[in-house]
Amino acid sequence: SISSSAASDSDSEQLQKEQDARSVLREGFLRCLLSMTNKKVQFQMYENVKVEATFGASDIDVLNFQVSDLHTPIGVQKEALIRCQDVISFTFDV
Amino acid sequence: MMQCGWPLMGPLRWLHYVNKEVKVRAGKGEEHRGWLLSVDPVSASVVLVSFGEAVAVRVVMGHAVEAVEVLRAAADDETAKRLRSVFLPPPSPCLDP
Repeated sequence: SISSSAASDSDSEQLQKEQDARSVLREGFLRCLLSMTNKKVQFQMYENVKVEATFGASDIDVLNFQVSDLHTPIGVQKEALIRCQDVISFTFDV
Repeated sequence: MMQCGWPLMGPLRWLHYVNKEVKVRAGKGEEHRGWLLSVDPVSASVVLVSFGEAVAVRVVMGHAVEAVEVLRAAADDETAKRLRSVFLPPPSPCLDP
């Protein structure tokens, strides 16, 4: 019927808008990750733990960060993966 | 003021916060201010930029975000321009003789 096709038109329009927004936002985030490569990053973790490391890469679904020279309270770890679930926030200078 | 459910808000509502100065509450008592540059649509992580002596970037993981409050609704032209250029690659050298 007309009404259902009109509804599906506005649905697809809404979907298109959402996809456009998604791509703009994702690009901004990926550029941020890209500029973080090889920079010193301070991670604020749960239980008030702060660590510093050189950022390497992230997986696409932002579950793990690969870092080098991770400074932990018990020493320096040459290479490490940080579980993003354990991180509250992180900061770096551009 | 956004209270809870930040990761579930979706791209169209996140987009409303872009280029605004915000205060993000996260984890246990962390609070961060800055210009919101982007929100990762996959992890809902918030990218904040602040302009001091250096340009400092803070990313707050989406799962840790508790509240986002808009402090200033619009960036002036100068700030908007700086925000756009934060992560752009440096201009390639001119190769004309």
